[in-house]
Amino acid sequence: MKNCDDIKNSLPLYLDNSLTEADKKTVEEHIKTCPDCTEALTQLSKTKKMVSSLTDVNPPPWFKQKIMARVREEAEKKSFVQKLFYPLQIKIPIQVFATVCIAVLAVYIYRTGEEQMKEVVPSSLPAPVMEVQKSQLPEQKLESSTGKVIQKEEQLAQKEETRREIIPSPATTADAAKDIKRQATPDFKTDRYESAPAAESELEKKKSEHIMGAAVKASGAPQAQSSMMKPNILLKVSDIYIAAEEVEKLLTKYEATNIDKQMKNGKTIITAELKNQKIRNFMENLKTVGQIREENIPSDNTEENITLTIEILKQ
Amino acid sequence: MSNITEARTEDEDLKYVIFCQKGETDAFEMLVERHQKKMLNIAFRMMGNYDEACDVTQEAFVSAYKSIKKFKAEAKFSTWLYRIVVNYSKNRLKQLNALTKREGISIDDIQEVRTGAALNQSFISNSNPGMQMEMREREAHIQKCINSLDEGYREVLVLRDIQGFSYEEIKDILKIPDGTVKSRLSRARNSLKDCLTKVIGDL
Repeated sequence: MKNCDDIKNSLPLYLDNSLTEADKKTVEEHIKTCPDCTEALTQLSKTKKMVSSLTDVNPPPWFKQKIMARVREEAEKKSFVQKLFYPLQIKIPIQVFATVCIAVLAVYIYRTGEEQMKEVVPSSLPAPVMEVQKSQLPEQKLESSTGKVIQKEEQLAQKEETRREIIPSPATTADAAKDIKRQATPDFKTDRYESAPAAESELEKKKSEHIMGAAVKASGAPQAQSSMMKPNILLKVSDIYIAAEEVEKLLTKYEATNIDKQMKNGKTIITAELKNQKIRNFMENLKTVGQIREENIPSDNTEENITLTIEILKQ
Repeated sequence: MSNITEARTEDEDLKYVIFCQKGETDAFEMLVERHQKKMLNIAFRMMGNYDEACDVTQEAFVSAYKSIKKFKAEAKFSTWLYRIVVNYSKNRLKQLNALTKREGISIDDIQEVRTGAALNQSFISNSNPGMQMEMREREAHIQKCINSLDEGYREVLVLRDIQGFSYEEIKDILKIPDGTVKSRLSRARNSLKDCLTKVIGDL
C-alpha cells in the first residue's frame, strides 16, 4: 500500500491523465479516503490553471525589425568571410590583384631606374655601332678569322646596350654586325693599319678617354668598349627631325656616300662617308644647323674617304 | 485536428527554412514573424525578466540563422528553434546568477518592476484598474515561484503548463527521455503548488 508521499508525487501526473491504469486506480482509491491528498490535488489543479492562465507578453515594437537587422548584418559578414576565404570563389581575384600589383610595381621601379640611369650615363654616350668598326679595325686585321671578331663585337655591343637599358632588337644587332663586315672590308687594304695597328688602337683609346671624361668612368664601363660607340660629331639642335633632314641635305650636297640614318631614344645618328677634301666645308655648313659640341674627325689627310658619325641631340 | 494544423505549420516553416539555407535572408523574416511571440514568452517565463527575455530571444534568432544550414529537418523547425531559446535562456540565467553572486545584486530586485511594466501593455485592454492591479500582483507571485524552481524543473513546467507543449514535443525540445520529462514535471508542479500556497495562502 502506498503512503501519502508516493500518492502526492503521482498527483501532478494524475492531473495530466498520464499515469498507467494501475497507478491511476491506486490514486483514485487513495484520495477517496485521504482528505489531505484530496486537498493537494485541488491545489495542484488550481496551480495548473493559474499558471496556464498567465498572460502572454507581447514583443516590443520593432522587435522583428531589430532581429532582422542583426540577421542581415550576420549574413553580410558571412558572405564577406566567404568571399575572402572560400576557395575558387575568391582566391582568383586575390591572385589577379596580387599579379597586377606586382606588374605595376615592376614597371614603376623600371621607370625610376631608367631615369636614374640617364642621369648617371649621359645620353651622348650610346654611340652608333659604326664607330665600332673604326677603332676595332686593327684588331680585326690581326685576327685571321673575321667572323669570330664580329661575333665578339656583337656580344660587346649587346652588353654595352643592355647596360644602358636600351634593349636592342636582335635584328638591329645583326644589322650592325653586317655593317661592320661591309665597312671593314675596304679598310683592310690600307697600309697604315697594317704597319702599326697597335699604336693606332692605343691612340684611339686615349682619344676616347679624353672625350668621354668622367661620365664614362662613373658608369664603370670598360673604356675600350665605350670608344667603340663614340660618334665623331655631336650636334645639339632644337629640333632633331629638321636638323636630321638638313644634315642629310648637306651630306648629299658634299657628295657623301653610304648615308645611313638611325633614330633611337630621341636622338638621330647619321653615318656617311665623305671625301676628305670636302670635310672642311661640310663642317662649316654643319655649324649653321646646330651647335657642335664634340668633334673627333680623323685628321689623317692620306685617307680619301672619311667615315663620319653625326649624332643629333635635342638641345 | 491540431496534428493536421501542426503538420501544415511545419511544412510552411520548412519552405522558408529551405529559402534561408539557399541564402535568402528575407525568408527568415517570415520565420521570425511566426515564432517571435512564442520564443519571447518561453524566454520570459524562463528568465522572469522582460528585457533579458528580449535580448535572449534576439540572440537565439540570430544564432538560429547562423546555423540554419545545419538544420536537417529531422525534427520540426519550431522544436529546433525553441531548443535554442531554452538553451540561451539557461545560459543567460547562469551568467546572471554568477553575476549576482559576485556583485551581490539580485536581478529579482529589478525583475518585478520590469515584469510589471512589461505586463502592463498586455493589460491595456482591461478596463478595470482594480482587477488589473490584482491580476498583475498575482502574476508577479506566480512568476516569482517559477523563478524559484531549479532550471531543469522550470523548463519542463514552462513548456508544458504555460506553453502547452506535449510530452513528446518537450522530449524533443529538451532532448531528455520521456520518463525524465514526467518526473521533472511532477516535481515542478508540486514545488510550484507549495510555493504558491506559501505566497498567496489559500489558492
